[in-house]
Amino acid sequence: MRRAIQFRLNGASVEAQVAPHETLVEVLREEFGLFGARESCGQGLCGCCTVLVDGTAVSGCLYLAALAEGAHVQTVEGAAELDAVQEAFIERAAFQCGFCTPGFVLMTRQLLDEHPDPSEDEIRHYLSGNLCRCAAYPEIIEAVKLAARKRRQS
Amino acid sequence: MLKIGEEERGLSPFELAEPRSLREALALLGADGVRPLSGGTALMLMMKAGVLRPTRLVNLRRLGIDQIERGNGGELRVGAMTTLRALEKSPLLKEWPVIARTLRTLSNVRVRNVATVGGHLAHGDPHMDLPPLLSALGATVTIAGPKGERTTPVEALYAGYLETTLARNELITQLLVPAMGARRAAYLKCTTRSADDWPALGVAVVLDGRKTSIVVSAATDRPTRLASVEAAEGLRIESDLHGSAQYKKQLLRVYLARAIHEARHASH
Repeated sequence: MRRAIQFRLNGASVEAQVAPHETLVEVLREEFGLFGARESCGQGLCGCCTVLVDGTAVSGCLYLAALAEGAHVQTVEGAAELDAVQEAFIERAAFQCGFCTPGFVLMTRQLLDEHPDPSEDEIRHYLSGNLCRCAAYPEIIEAVKLAARKRRQS
Repeated sequence: MLKIGEEERGLSPFELAEPRSLREALALLGADGVRPLSGGTALMLMMKAGVLRPTRLVNLRRLGIDQIERGNGGELRVGAMTTLRALEKSPLLKEWPVIARTLRTLSNVRVRNVATVGGHLAHGDPHMDLPPLLSALGATVTIAGPKGERTTPVEALYAGYLETTLARNELITQLLVPAMGARRAAYLKCTTRSADDWPALGVAVVLDGRKTSIVVSAATDRPTRLASVEAAEGLRIESDLHGSAQYKKQLLRVYLARAIHEARHASH
């Protein structure tokens, strides 16, 4: 049942043996040791398993790994250095336990790609599918605004 | 497989078929245990919950039916494999702003990035947002099957809770929404837990001169048309996790009035 699929993972060409029923987040964790995306609610509601497939944010727990064949998959581990979004989350202390943070970082990058200067309403709508059980929401919204400023300045 | 405590959260094994054409896809459907896979966001939940244990999924992603265009009659034509997000961002939706407004609060961005128009319409969960709105707008779907194509109103797709009138070997291929013309429309929903939760109630209102179309969802086992505003009082309402029937009845009184008000003041 397993078959080899090739795809790009954080810029590098990779191959993995996957079964049709394995999800992308399972394969990232078990085959590649990438633990930034993690399954939490398992229903696409919490955003902890967020990864980018060809630049589009998806819930890795609802996405079959076999469908990533030929695609570019990006995780929070992808960048060698911290980007403006990660810096802003640190500067605004926009987390406590950090479990949800990789998902928030990836969704915020996509939000700022689409809306470089988002209103608070746009931020809240865009991130409504990301849950922070430590409830760092006020700091997260401030971090997104700071990241937007940092991006515009650079 | 991921485990939390003793609970197995992974999916049961299945085969994955990857047809390259609609004809090939249709030929693969129909047998027991075979299900079509479009975006998979709803299907995966049912499989994780053990409600569905398919032996084979037929992946529809390579069929190429994902175009959005305006037809010769001014209607909106949407290929069934169009993602909800692609539809939401389509410049054509300027002419159907009520659909754009509805999509903006449908689940969340990540789900809309993957979920498709055809999958959304074929799922049959009465809590979904587009079926009541598209029913009120008089939209139709093209359905392909082994004997060819047929067209049916979106309103006629639903037979009950998670039950549709689609045969197992049929696929929705296209959605057609008539031009708005002078019509004005609104869709309102009430979510009782988080903003992106399934609604406790959905109400679509379309005003066309003196004619009013009202379709209620989430409080009923399928999208249900009200013959008149007064008919809301006699509607058979279902309790679920999102609210009791009694609570939803009161929500309907409030939200129906709000939806009519919003439709009257909408530009379209």
